[in-house]
Amino acid sequence: MLESPYVTQYLTEHFAEADYPTLKGYERFGGYAAARKALTEMTPDEVIEVVKTAGLQGRGGAGFPAGMKWSFMPKEDDRPKYLVCNADESEPGSFKDRILLERGAHQMLEGILIAAWATGACATFIYIRGEYAFPAAQVERAVAEAYAKGYLGDNVMGTGFRHDVRVTRGAGAYICGEETGLLESLEGKKGQPRKKPPFPAQYGAFGMPTTVNNVETFSHVPHIIAKGANWFRSFGTEKSPGTTIFGVSGHVVRPGLYELPLGTPLSEIVFEHAGGVPGGRKVKGVIPGGMSMPILPAGQLDVPMANEFLREQKTMLGTGGVMVMDETTCMVRAASVISYFFRDESCGQCTQCREGTGWMNKIIERIERGAGEEADIEVLGDVAGKMEAKTICAFADAAAWPIQGLLRHFRDDFVEHVRQRKCPFPGSFEL
Amino acid sequence: MPKITIDGNELEVAEGRTILQALDDAGLLMNGIDIPHYCWHPKLPVDGSCRLCQVEVEGIPKLQIACDTPVRDGMVVHTQNERVKQAREGVMELLLVNHPLDCPICDQAGECKLQDYTYDYGVQASRSKEPRRALKKNVDLGPTIVFDQERCILCRRCVRFCREIPKTGELAIFNRGDHSVIETFPGTPLDNPYSMNVADICPVGALTTKDFRFKIRVWFLEDVPGICTGCSNGCNIHLGVANNKVYRYVPRRNDAVNDTWICDAGRMSYRRIGAPDRLRECAVRDESGRLEPVGLDRAIEVAASRLRRLVDSKGPGVIAGLASAHATNEDLFTFRRFLAALGSETHGVAVVRGEADDLLIKEEKAPNAVGARELGFGDARTVVDRIGSGGVDAVIALGNDALQEGLLGSEEPLANLDTVIVLDTHASELQRVAHVIVPVRHAAEKLGTFVNAARRVQRVVPAVESVWETYSDGEVIAKLGAALGLEGFDGSYDARQVARDLAAANPAFAGIDLDSVGDAGRPLADSAASKAER
Amino acid sequence: MVISDETRSKIDEAISKYPVKRGALLPAVHLVQADHGHVSKECAVELAEIFEILPIQVMEVVTFYNMFFDSPQAKHHVYVCTNLPCSLRGSRSLLSQLESHLGVTAPGETADGRIFLGHEECLGACGYAPMMRVDDEYHEDLDVEKAKRILDSLGK
Ligand SMILES: Cc1cc2nc3c(=O)[nH]c(=O)nc-3n(C[C@H](O)[C@H](O)[C@H](O)COP(=O)(O)O)c2cc1C
Ligand code: SF4
Ligand code: SF4
Ligand code: SF4
Ligand code: FES
Ligand code: FES
Repeated sequence: MLESPYVTQYLTEHFAEADYPTLKGYERFGGYAAARKALTEMTPDEVIEVVKTAGLQGRGGAGFPAGMKWSFMPKEDDRPKYLVCNADESEPGSFKDRILLERGAHQMLEGILIAAWATGACATFIYIRGEYAFPAAQVERAVAEAYAKGYLGDNVMGTGFRHDVRVTRGAGAYICGEETGLLESLEGKKGQPRKKPPFPAQYGAFGMPTTVNNVETFSHVPHIIAKGANWFRSFGTEKSPGTTIFGVSGHVVRPGLYELPLGTPLSEIVFEHAGGVPGGRKVKGVIPGGMSMPILPAGQLDVPMANEFLREQKTMLGTGGVMVMDETTCMVRAASVISYFFRDESCGQCTQCREGTGWMNKIIERIERGAGEEADIEVLGDVAGKMEAKTICAFADAAAWPIQGLLRHFRDDFVEHVRQRKCPFPGSFEL
Repeated sequence: MPKITIDGNELEVAEGRTILQALDDAGLLMNGIDIPHYCWHPKLPVDGSCRLCQVEVEGIPKLQIACDTPVRDGMVVHTQNERVKQAREGVMELLLVNHPLDCPICDQAGECKLQDYTYDYGVQASRSKEPRRALKKNVDLGPTIVFDQERCILCRRCVRFCREIPKTGELAIFNRGDHSVIETFPGTPLDNPYSMNVADICPVGALTTKDFRFKIRVWFLEDVPGICTGCSNGCNIHLGVANNKVYRYVPRRNDAVNDTWICDAGRMSYRRIGAPDRLRECAVRDESGRLEPVGLDRAIEVAASRLRRLVDSKGPGVIAGLASAHATNEDLFTFRRFLAALGSETHGVAVVRGEADDLLIKEEKAPNAVGARELGFGDARTVVDRIGSGGVDAVIALGNDALQEGLLGSEEPLANLDTVIVLDTHASELQRVAHVIVPVRHAAEKLGTFVNAARRVQRVVPAVESVWETYSDGEVIAKLGAALGLEGFDGSYDARQVARDLAAANPAFAGIDLDSVGDAGRPLADSAASKAER
Repeated sequence: MVISDETRSKIDEAISKYPVKRGALLPAVHLVQADHGHVSKECAVELAEIFEILPIQVMEVVTFYNMFFDSPQAKHHVYVCTNLPCSLRGSRSLLSQLESHLGVTAPGETADGRIFLGHEECLGACGYAPMMRVDDEYHEDLDVEKAKRILDSLGK
């Protein structure tokens, strides 16, 4: 069962309350006061300024500053402007948006309303991954409540501001999390990412100026508006303020969600909060931010979970999906699962991505079967290099990085497979 | 105009073009500056997916795709440095991971861009040891095209073509990732009037035409520039010639006429050149009413004596000329001069009409209807009416268009005439009533010009020679004029000289001769005839 | 007509929510699948008419997304997540035991067409692994016995 986070801060503080998902419950804890404040007491520019000062970074993976993104929306433009809420959460190891949708739909909607006011958007499309049937139902219900109460529609909170919200369900394609793949899908097409430029702020959903933000990014916004930029900056690091919800999975005693300030050391998350590896076994490696991010070996777990520190270790925060692998884990197996995923999910447009994901997966599976040669390891690294930084979207990089990370830190596992012509880790998970 | 520097060469380019477009405009692409590319095609929307055209642009850290990077003033581009080469090789190697490399049995060999680029830019083969994708071979896509899924490199040119050009959209990519394949909707064949162009734009041997498959290796073919005679659009083509035989027509790019396309009907019309129903011998009708094969001199002699008898007895007014819009301007100018010297004022041009669309296909199904009118041939109906009212005793017909178009109803109205002289490429019912028949050349066999519907003068040159004796219409008419002793006719015919005479006589053609017209053609000046037409 | 009037009016309602008609294509395909289990050629033709696009444009969308099907499907879809976090917590052995329980090889369906058993990529439940998705419902923190009971309770 999806449970309320083990550690909560402002985002998830009330998630254990049974009525919090309802409008009444949400308002019981002060909900929608921030939106009312923004719409009645603040100009759009003031809102953007506060969010900029707060330093809120996008929580969808790339960490782009939200306030800055909002300011890219063209002001002198008669076309309708849209927001898109990216609720496609499909990055393996990530399950934080799901709880924000299930338990915090109104919090997210309030954030959306404030962002809409700031950017002049007349509608928001919430794109929820197809498999999230229950979260989607929760959001639909919240949207209906908000309309009924006059918080959405032609005259939001009696201010004359107009805003509509639509909920769209995806249909099973990881690439629809990439913002332009999402836009294509939203328009009823295959979710194949668009060439950029033009960027969504100029040519987004249905050709209109559009800002895309992640579920969590929106969810932080009411708190920033209610309590101010300085309050927000009291969480996290100088460069990465605020909390985030880490999703811990794999070989730990207490897998689950933990809302913690950015900059919390990875070791604290893994060992203190999640209880470390069961059975007294040792950690072998941890993927810190969802499957696209390169792995960290056991020796590098002291790193604070914020991009400015993670980058030094050649990895990134991504979605904060922390995957822990203990000493029994075969990293070639891990590579096999990872490469299979990316092969399956590539949209197939770009040569390097379409062919490279398939090729990498086939090489890794062969090595795992014990039919590899040492030269294959070179070729594997080379193929990953050919995929990087050369495609329409960042998916190909996301496919290459974790393999490069595994080769960087666990090359020995690959070499041993080749030498022994079998998997040297009998206790590893099955394939 | 922005200036850019590519590999050290400065180039002035039009605003708003991409790097590839700018090079294409300047005629430098793959012709001085090599940026290999698969998905980009000059006449299709940018796709940007094959990633082969990457170049380095100074000041931008990542390599950029030349097909989707707009030029900016002062831009400095490198297309051949180590980084670019490596990226290119990377794409090439990846494309080969799943390619069957069955070149020895592939019909595209010789004009395959994968083969070419592998040779020019890449690794000779991929290092991949993995099994390749096993997909469908020899898929029947419709009446014209066969598809090999394994060879497809998923550049989506064919998909974009069907969506953007004929707008029929028969093709799409199904599935995703390395499961992507080109498919048609179940039960819906690739079947549009332009379908065969997909074989031309497919960079590999995935899409091939049923017509050309396995006929001949392309390296044996010589490409001769020519004009399609299927309709008055006059699409520019290359005739693929070997052993004095035309094996195919393929489009020849002309942005003022047909971009890079031709229609399927026009493409298949090459078959008319060597068709079994080509006229092969001159013939005259003997006393018993049978057609007897003769030499050209005899045919001219018979024709001349019949005409002279009529002129002497009834005057030239009873002789009518039916021109063909398949004849060249040089043929028609000679014919017109002939009729004038003879004193005949009854003449016109018959043009077969058919379906048209707003892409290329025009209503008039002949290459030179505009030229014929420009040279003073009016509607053939006036000739037909005069025949009907009994005012005509002899007809000289170039071609059988009047019959095909149904202007005559049937050949019957001609059966009672004193003299019917037919100059034609192919057999028709006219032979039943003709007294003199002379086989003439197809456009692929002669030198001359046509004027297309957009008033562009375009040239045909002899690509093949018929193995039997044939003549240009103009040549036959010139000999007939000499035999009749008409002024200005000495029996010789030289298309180049006639073209110069035409340019001197008709201001619309001023300055155009068979050299200056070039392979790309030249616009015809406005004239009284063209204004009247509008 | 294979798409019912009722579904058509739901599709019309969906269309009214988007600035461009085609925006409602994914919702419409979901609706059609809810009725028919898959998008047949006939359904694709009718959807194409409704959305004023070509049938092949419907089909390219159907074949792109994992949750859309172009061929008839079993009554229930069961997917065990086998992505990394779930694999680390035994999802693959769970899957193989469910395979023997049902007598199928994943991906594949039972002879009576009751259950399709397959594996799926991460479903956003990594902290509650192993897990499986049964039609629209998630079942988390599974063990083999619990999973078998769930499968056995699925109707025909
Ligand atoms: C392959 C790929 C998958 C992505 N998946 C998601 C996703 O599931 N959810 C998400 O919010 N962002 C995802 N992103 C990031 C989005 O493109 C985009 O940056 C983000 O939605 C912007 O929101 P933010 O600025 O609030 O983070 C993905 C990016 C890539 C390249
Ligand atoms: S990088 Fe991969 S997923 Fe992204 S557009 Fe290219 S092929 Fe599609
Ligand atoms: S069939 Fe040819 S043109 Fe079409 S996508 Fe494949 S390679 Fe490109
Ligand atoms: S459009 Fe006319 S000229 Fe062009 S190829 Fe077709 S028939 Fe020939
Ligand atoms: S030609 Fe530029 S990406 Fe294909
Ligand atoms: S890996 Fe199974 S739900 Fe995420």
